[in-house]
Parts: sequence; C-alpha cells; structure tokens
Amino acid sequence: MNISIKQLFGRRPKSSNIAKQRLKLVITQDRMDVDDRFMTRLHNELAEVLAKYFEFSANSVQVSLKQKGNSYVLVADFPYKKFHDINIG
Amino acid sequence: MGKVIVVTSGKGGVGKTTSTANLGTALALLGKTVAVVDADVGLRNLDIVMGLESRIVYTSMDVIEKQCELSKALVKDRRVDGLMLLAASQKNNKDDMQPAQMKAICDKLRSTHDFVLVDSPAGIERGFNNASAGADEAIVVTTPDVSAIRDADRIIGLLQHARIEPINLVLNRFSPELVGNGSMMDQADVLDILNIDLLGIVPEDSGVITSTNRGIPLVYEDASPGSQAYMRIARRLTGQRIPIPDLEHKGLLTNIVNWFTRKR
Repeated sequence: MNISIKQLFGRRPKSSNIAKQRLKLVITQDRMDVDDRFMTRLHNELAEVLAKYFEFSANSVQVSLKQKGNSYVLVADFPYKKFHDINIG
Repeated sequence: MGKVIVVTSGKGGVGKTTSTANLGTALALLGKTVAVVDADVGLRNLDIVMGLESRIVYTSMDVIEKQCELSKALVKDRRVDGLMLLAASQKNNKDDMQPAQMKAICDKLRSTHDFVLVDSPAGIERGFNNASAGADEAIVVTTPDVSAIRDADRIIGLLQHARIEPINLVLNRFSPELVGNGSMMDQADVLDILNIDLLGIVPEDSGVITSTNRGIPLVYEDASPGSQAYMRIARRLTGQRIPIPDLEHKGLLTNIVNWFTRKR
C-alpha cells in the first residue's frame, strides 16, 4: 500500500538507495553469521516475552541488526498500544 | 625490505588483474622496483593482460618444485625499468600449492623489490589463502554493484581474520553519470557499507578494453582517466599524499566535454 501510493504520486526511489539498504541488511547478517530463520525465531521469542507486559500489533513489529560504526546493534521496534496492568517485582 | 600487497576482491571480473598490471607498471614508472605475482594457478591471466605471455618460460610452480631459481622464473618487462612478472602455472591447480610455499616466494621477492603485488584469484578458498599467505597489506577491488560489494565484505572479514592490514579499497568502474542520476552507489555509500579506507577511485574507461587487447597497460597512456586514476593510486602507495578527486560532483556537461577532448 505504502509503496503503491509513493509510486502514484512521487518519483520512484533511487535504485542506488535501494541497493545500499539491501546491502547493509544482508552484509550485517553475513557478518553476524545469522540467517532469516534465526531472525524470525528471535522476533517470535521477543514478541512472546514482551506480550506479557504490553499490547502491540504484531504486524508493526520490526526486529533487525544494524551496523553502528564498528559495532552492531539489535533494533527491536515494538510500537506499544497500552501496558498491561500488572505489578512487576 | 619491500611490501607485499595482495590484490583481491572475492568476486571475479571486477578488475583485480587489470589493477595489478596497472599499479605494478605505475609503481615502476615512479622509479620503484616491483614484482607482480600471478597467484591464479590454473587460470593465469596477468601475463596476457601485461603483454608478456609469449615470454613465460618458468612459473612459480617450477620454483616451488625446485626446477629453477626464483630469479630465473622472473620475466623482466622491457618497457620500464624495475618491473618483473612471476607467472602462475597453467597446467596445475590451486591445491598443488601450499600457502607456506607462496609465503616463501613473497618473502624472497620482498628482499629484492620495493613492492610485491600478488594478483589473487576470485573466491574465498585455497587460491585466496595462497595469494594472501605472504601479504602484509591488501588492496580490495570492487565495483559499485551489490554482488561485488557483498563479496568484498566477505573478503575483508577474511583479511581481518588473517591480521592483514591495512586493507584499502579501490573502487573500480565508477561512473559519474550513473552516480549523478542515482543509478549507482557513490563512494560514500560504498565506504559506509564496507567501513575500510579508500585508496582510490578508477572511473569507467573503455581504454581498459583496448589496452588489454594490445597487452599494454593503461598507465602508459597519460591522457586516459583510468590511467590517471591508477597513477594517483600508485603515488599514494609510495606514501605521497594525493587527494582523491570528487568525480561525481562534475556535471554531465563537463564529463561529455572531457570525453570528447581526451586523447585516444
């Protein structure tokens, strides 16, 4: 949906930018020696744990590895709707 | 004591051999003594790219098998002082050579030459291990496309693991026009992904094809943009501080004018 609206009203994104984004993702995974199956499993297990604490819509979740200078960060994006009313600790 | 530099890439066809031939010749033109070594056993090409194919008598395999002395296997390039080629055997394969044997050859060559450039085969297996065995430093050649860059990243990881440093990048077949219209990644994009130092950018130059046809490295032609790029890179290798020109900021018109006014 998002892409088709952009294609209708705007210019297509430059292919060099697409190349760069695709490469960054795949190279980070190459370097960490992780594959899609690993990322999916990580995603699912994180979601399982976090679902105990707050509510989020499953299709807006993003889990990825990103390069930051010489190191890597795990970026987990769980846009929350509301926290569950539980007492922690 | 000279430096041993492996020229490598991971992916084939990105310009390793062309870069080795031109940088070796360029360094010799700058007055350095240079040995270029073809490490692509079984698929040798440095000899034909340099125009020395008819003069190969012995190869590195003959030296390893003690059929001849190293000095006898070196083919002198008669067009410039101080340039020698050590060819790879065409009838053997990569497993016939051990990394330690290549290292021994490189160590001998470094005692008599300022620079030893080793042209690595494509791939990450035995041929690469042989080529990099004796190297102090590495030049990684890539083109600005996804497959070459991904493979370059793999090779950089292996070079780092082998503690070969510095690892410098040569960005080959760079097209200012394509970068200008957003169809090709620029040097900032490539460096952001690979995270190593840039040694130089070689613009796309059809002169490479004609120079390879003739067996005369591009650097003998002063006017060609590729030749100038390789000469700048060679100067940087000798320690001179030569800024990397910002090729992509030239307008299309400037490039067209340059193309029509260059000597051919």
